[in-house]
Amino acid sequence: MEFKTTELIAELIEKTRININKVENYRDLSKNALNHKESLEKWSVLECLEHLNLYGDFYNPEIKRSIETSQTKPDKTFKSGLIGNYFVNTMLPKKKLNKMKTFKDKNPSGSSLDTRVIDRFIRQQKEFLELLQNSRNINVTKTTTAISISKLVKMRLGDTFRFIVAHNERHLIQADNALKQAIC
Amino acid sequence: MKETQFLIETIENNHLWDNEIEISRNEYLKVKGSIDTNLYFIKNGSLRIYVIHELEEHTIRFGYQNNFIVSLDSFITEEPSDFYIQAIKKTNLKIIKKKTFKDLISSHTELQNIWTKILEQLILQQLEREKDILTSSPIERYKRVLKRSPQLFQEIPNKYIADYLRMTPETLSRIKKS
Repeated sequence: MEFKTTELIAELIEKTRININKVENYRDLSKNALNHKESLEKWSVLECLEHLNLYGDFYNPEIKRSIETSQTKPDKTFKSGLIGNYFVNTMLPKKKLNKMKTFKDKNPSGSSLDTRVIDRFIRQQKEFLELLQNSRNINVTKTTTAISISKLVKMRLGDTFRFIVAHNERHLIQADNALKQAIC
Repeated sequence: MKETQFLIETIENNHLWDNEIEISRNEYLKVKGSIDTNLYFIKNGSLRIYVIHELEEHTIRFGYQNNFIVSLDSFITEEPSDFYIQAIKKTNLKIIKKKTFKDLISSHTELQNIWTKILEQLILQQLEREKDILTSSPIERYKRVLKRSPQLFQEIPNKYIADYLRMTPETLSRIKKS
């Protein structure tokens, strides 16, 4: 798949703005609602956010490194790669959220969480916006990042960005579902 | 300002608003990196414009009810801008697109003059703001801003005023008491 780079970056920034706004609104919710679990295996709102934070802990520094060491020039077109498309597609939410396996080190279930998780999420998203902005100076097809689940595979930076935003959207839908359960 | 009022009425009478939106407290109208060339009129509520520098937020400007708010850099250059625009409380905004707005003001010399006047006022305000920042005494900075915009102290929470005045909230409340 090919994208106009400036349009792709603009779209990802706009989606990130919407994600941030969603989470800013969680601040007004009670502790109970934020921690409500429909069942033991299902995640609460805060657990969804913490899961995203664990990803951010890995990807933000990794992307920052890849941008800083990249010696490429920006290109009008971004060409997505096979692995990138595969991961982005698995993230796209179906009508009813399909179940997925979580890697152990990214499972927040059972950790003790408070609203500082929200602050951490917002802070990470602002860092992420900074990275999207800085990527305008390099080639996001030729620059690659490591991925969290394998040391061998590299992903094109543009795909890493697309994956992270799709992953955020996915788990914020899950958080909204957890919230609906908590309210009714 | 009566110029702003006149401009608003003209847009209103010609039905040129593109859209109307509501954003809740703490929500973002604009984030870093985006290109936003819209001009927003604040029906009610208030907002702040800030930048993040070395992980710290620095409030640059506030938007009040019955005023315009705009990411002026993006509006002029149509390039990405570093500014965040965040609602301080629930805020309703009317939106006019740059093109619509430009077409309107270029249609009448009088409107063109009014827009120039608004921009001139803005330049004067920015010069005052530059003097604020160069004023080293916190008390003097406080006095200057209080004199210039008493509205700020009625509508905006202390933590943002303190940030705008480049002092801690503790220092601000100490100065206010004395």
